[in-house]
Amino acid sequence: MAVQEHIISLLVNNQPGVLSRIAGVFSSKGYNIRSLCVAETTNPEISRITLTSRADRDFTDKIKKQLDRLVDIISVTDLTDIPSVKRELMILGLRVREENRQEILRAIDLFGCRIVAMDADYLILEVTANTDKTVAILKFFEPFGVEEMNRTGAIAVFRQSPS
Amino acid sequence: MKTKLNFHKTMGADIVLKVLAEEGVDTIFGYPGANTLPLNDRMAESPIRHYLMRHEQAAAHAADGYARATGKTGVCLSTSGPGATNLVTGIATAYMDSTPLVAITAQVNSDLWGKDAFQETDIIGITMPITKHSFMVRDPNQLESSLRKAFHLARSGRPGPVLIDIPRDILGPVDNGNPRDMPENAPLITDDASSLARIAEALNRSERPIILIGGGIKLGDACARATRFVLEKRIPFTSTMMGIGSITSANGLNLGFIGTHGNETANSVIHQSDFILALGVRFTERSTSVISEFAPLAQVAQIDIDPTSVGKNIPVDFQWIGDIKDALEALSALVSPRDRPAWDQRIEEERTNRASRNGDDGCGEAGALIRKIQAAMPRDTIVVPDVGLNQIWTVRTWQCHTPRSLITTGGMGTMGFSVPAAIGARVGAPEREVVVICGDGGFYMNIQELATISSYRLPIKIVILNNGHLGMIRQMQDLFFDSRFTTSALGGAVDLVAVARGFGIPAERISAQDHAEEAITRMREAEGPYLIEALIDQDNYVYPIIPPGKSNVEMISGKDGRA
Repeated sequence: MAVQEHIISLLVNNQPGVLSRIAGVFSSKGYNIRSLCVAETTNPEISRITLTSRADRDFTDKIKKQLDRLVDIISVTDLTDIPSVKRELMILGLRVREENRQEILRAIDLFGCRIVAMDADYLILEVTANTDKTVAILKFFEPFGVEEMNRTGAIAVFRQSPS
Repeated sequence: MKTKLNFHKTMGADIVLKVLAEEGVDTIFGYPGANTLPLNDRMAESPIRHYLMRHEQAAAHAADGYARATGKTGVCLSTSGPGATNLVTGIATAYMDSTPLVAITAQVNSDLWGKDAFQETDIIGITMPITKHSFMVRDPNQLESSLRKAFHLARSGRPGPVLIDIPRDILGPVDNGNPRDMPENAPLITDDASSLARIAEALNRSERPIILIGGGIKLGDACARATRFVLEKRIPFTSTMMGIGSITSANGLNLGFIGTHGNETANSVIHQSDFILALGVRFTERSTSVISEFAPLAQVAQIDIDPTSVGKNIPVDFQWIGDIKDALEALSALVSPRDRPAWDQRIEEERTNRASRNGDDGCGEAGALIRKIQAAMPRDTIVVPDVGLNQIWTVRTWQCHTPRSLITTGGMGTMGFSVPAAIGARVGAPEREVVVICGDGGFYMNIQELATISSYRLPIKIVILNNGHLGMIRQMQDLFFDSRFTTSALGGAVDLVAVARGFGIPAERISAQDHAEEAITRMREAEGPYLIEALIDQDNYVYPIIPPGKSNVEMISGKDGRA
């Protein structure tokens, strides 16, 4: 079966131990969580968890049923094939040399990244994009000397109003 | 130290006891510790009866046995730390067989929590994969609602164990002037009736249908309805080990149970079927053997209350999620009884064929002894086998005539289950006789519970089938490891009759063939508990058996590997 990256969006009660139960479902069924984002929603009693995992097609059905069984989970949605806006944040620490400075600055402009901090031979770059573009940007800058990199993993919202 | 009453505050312990009573609990099985003391102290004024076990594992098994015998939710209580961790095997056993159970653990004082205090352990974390849910009560205002929610969760949908961890200070004087409600319970999912109509249509069309009964029939309290359905529609049925006894009237439609140690007829017939109506079944490998070779010609319709069980282990052609009683009611109107002479004849041939080759059910003298025990006991006796050969001998020979007459650990296969589970069963059903059929290995694992039986004078009848070995391990070594018998001999150094008498339980030793009837009569007529140690030959195995990695129709009936 075709293995693909799934992006799952969960609404959960904002309680201690909930994340541990969710992680337990993934590990006990042999799935790896590739990225994970947790934050409170507009209602402080409810959190949204967005996570990604690589798996075959029947993953959604199996994992959704298992997650639905958890008492503190309010809803589970697989956004993989649903029109939605997906973004992640990446911060890059990049070595800059005199001979490639111009090329780097042009690329930053072209990719629509933001420079957060900069000195003569080092700059910190903020990238907000979907995962594919994030990966492409990282790939582009790697030959210049990426000293540090950190990514949040994807978050997502429905393209249409969920109601 | 006596807990001082503060009249401006409520005792958390009283809240616990009040909710238990309101949830219909009159019996709990437990073992005290420093952190349960505020609760134990208040029991003096409560109508709830606390059975003092001799080990927390036994408290969990007893609550499990109580629930299986009564259909009510079992409750066990332990202290923090080792008390709580000792419950783990019992909770896992209940989880695997979906028993409604509420486990209450006391925790160290809230202000000590997270400091590795004396007898502190993260029991919520430890039990997460083996509970339906768990609650750590952090606020007295949540005590009542957490308890109520625990009972609701334990028995709703697919039942199972729920753990509630209560710090000692919250059992003491607390201010709960502002009780908090729990969020609403999510409604259970039920599929609409159209999929049942499709299932009925496919069943009506099928030429070689079979019904597969699982543990969900008992859990869903649907034994009577399922029996009626089978008899009305005249469809042959088989069951998993957990489903044995759900359809109680012995009639020509029962093919026995399927799986590794199942009946040959059942395994062979389900293999040839073209349609399986699976009711409350989760298709574990113990039932299906090699999944890819299970019932290769059959369409499968699976009906279950738990969406996660449907299509989990085998692909299904039809499914319906919801209450089994509703499903049976709807199907009653939709399925038409039909003559299928060719199928009937095939099944009859299978039966005759197998019967002539396996007249003793493959259980040897041990099976014959179990039949004698059943013949001597009342029809509605509850039998509680342990795990190992004794379990298979029992489920293959004991005829269940009434619901809830077989209590066995099917999913977890927990050795040492039988004696404490029998305590729970007898406490829950004092009007019924309870017989334990145990091997010597499993008997040693909760032998301390003889003291519980003895001190409460529970008239439980215990038969130990003593072959001096871990018999099932020995059989597998004999068949699949070139008869190299390592680590499976228990020996005969222990005088189990003297042990039982030491615990205050009358006992005698017999060999399986000689004087069994007289001993069984004495056991039946004994007012209180009674123990028989029956010496069984070490080569008395169970046949047929499916070798590892083989399908349900590759059973072997002897050491030479013949089918």
